Amino acid sequence: MAETAAGKGVAGRAYEFLLRPEASVIVVSLALVVYFEIANRNFISNANLQTISQFVAAPVIIACGEIMLLICREIDLSVGQVFALAPFIMENVGDVGVPVPLAILAALAVCALIGLAIGLITIKLGIPSFITTLGMLFLITGLTLTISRGYPANAPGGPVLTGFMGAWGYSEIVWALVIVAVMHIVLRHTRWGLHTIAIGGNIVAAAEAGIAINRIKIGNFVLTSTLGGFCGLLEAFRVGSIDPLAGGSNIMFLGVASGVIGGTAIAGGAGTIVGGLVGGIMLGVMQDGFTLQGINAFTFDIIIGAAILIAMIANTHLARLRGGLQR
Amino acid sequence: MTEAIRAENIVKTFGSVIALNGVSMSVSRGETLGILGDNGAGKSTLIKILTGYHQPDSGEVNVDGNPVRLGSVDEARALGIECVYQDLALVNGLSIYHNMFLKRELLWGGPFGFLNHREMRRRAAEALAEIGVAVPSVELEVGLLSGGQRQAIAVARAVSSNARILLLDEPLAAMGAREARLIIDLIDRLKARGELAIVMIAHNYAQTLEICDRVMLIQHGEVTFESQTATTSAEELLDIVRREYRAARAG
Repeated sequence: MAETAAGKGVAGRAYEFLLRPEASVIVVSLALVVYFEIANRNFISNANLQTISQFVAAPVIIACGEIMLLICREIDLSVGQVFALAPFIMENVGDVGVPVPLAILAALAVCALIGLAIGLITIKLGIPSFITTLGMLFLITGLTLTISRGYPANAPGGPVLTGFMGAWGYSEIVWALVIVAVMHIVLRHTRWGLHTIAIGGNIVAAAEAGIAINRIKIGNFVLTSTLGGFCGLLEAFRVGSIDPLAGGSNIMFLGVASGVIGGTAIAGGAGTIVGGLVGGIMLGVMQDGFTLQGINAFTFDIIIGAAILIAMIANTHLARLRGGLQR
Repeated sequence: MTEAIRAENIVKTFGSVIALNGVSMSVSRGETLGILGDNGAGKSTLIKILTGYHQPDSGEVNVDGNPVRLGSVDEARALGIECVYQDLALVNGLSIYHNMFLKRELLWGGPFGFLNHREMRRRAAEALAEIGVAVPSVELEVGLLSGGQRQAIAVARAVSSNARILLLDEPLAAMGAREARLIIDLIDRLKARGELAIVMIAHNYAQTLEICDRVMLIQHGEVTFESQTATTSAEELLDIVRREYRAARAG
């Protein structure tokens, strides 16, 4: 053992680090930061860092849930719609005189129930989560539009709560980092996380070991919907108004892309929360950087799309290289 | 030798298919029983009843002389019955020590229950060393190991969980000679400890006769032959099976 540790050395450790899926993303992100700073000068400024952090926060929070689901071979396509619904629940509950903090909890409870419904339909009725959540996607959109009658509303709450929940420039990213830290611990240092990985890696083995597969999968659906709703609330407080068309599939795909860019396997069994953070940062840096460059919105989508593809191809092929060693 | 487990007149049907039609068997501590039989003969069904995965339609199971109801895998496990499955109940993406402690994780931090990685690593290494399974590091991903090493890890996991009755479902299937040797040696070491009752399902007659103390043949859900391996030849077993083939061709 001592020999292998000594034999690794700095070069060996560096090589090991570079093999990790997160590593290439970190390298690319740093290169992008350098490029954008040289090209714009204002890239690393307080104002712009705030903007980047706001680009990054929401996809990262969504990614924390999606990564757990992807690892156990499920997905939630409707989390962006829960994102839009949550603030309206809060607003409507608040309208009947419930204090805002309680209204927030009520909104989160509704989101958790939606996650529970998705989980039960998927697991108990045997519908693939891709289909369950595709149905939910339309259902919840309709629900939000019905509740809001299609009009935006003002976010409730006093200045302190609003600042805490998202209006202060960095509060959303602080929330995101706290959630990342907690979810990292859940995934790496609790039985829940270990069992989630085991289910995605070998469901037969997990069943034979006696792992409660259904409970863990349903739990991860509840988690994802709740995080999606929480993220929607943060965004509503930051912007100051509630938009029935906020979030949507765009934010869901950014969350999934963050996770996958950061090394989460679409086929399940592997992934890290930190990877999702790194992937989200890369997407945020690109989004912000190209906007500063003044690139036209149409071109911008082409660049983002290509970047996601390249990152995912790189990720998949690096994974295949690593997998090639394993099989 | 004291009897560890006895199954009496086990009947199990799946719809109109009779998987087991009154099968009886018993194994003592320190003894290894080999169960041979064709695909679909009922061997795996018998194992799955002993692990609590299936419940028999009728018949009785005794552990240490007491009648027991094996209603679930957990109930069987609580009685010291551990099974190593044919499909290797290991997760490739996880490390050796995570696999060895899957569902029996060691925790710290009281109610929060964080995984005690350090203690699991230490104990996994200890348990492997104790039964002579050599791996470079318990932190290696199981997927990086060979089939024989993986099987050895699976056996080690079952043994280290205080198994008193060890069921092995085709432990040598799809293995080359060297890999199989690794497992045969491991089973020999476990036998030498004398406290384990081992039931092994196999296809290979030569290997079964070498490893086991007693051998049993199941055909169409019934025990058609049972004998000490010391007085059994592979030829004898083959004759019975040949007769069956001939009958099948005639019928």
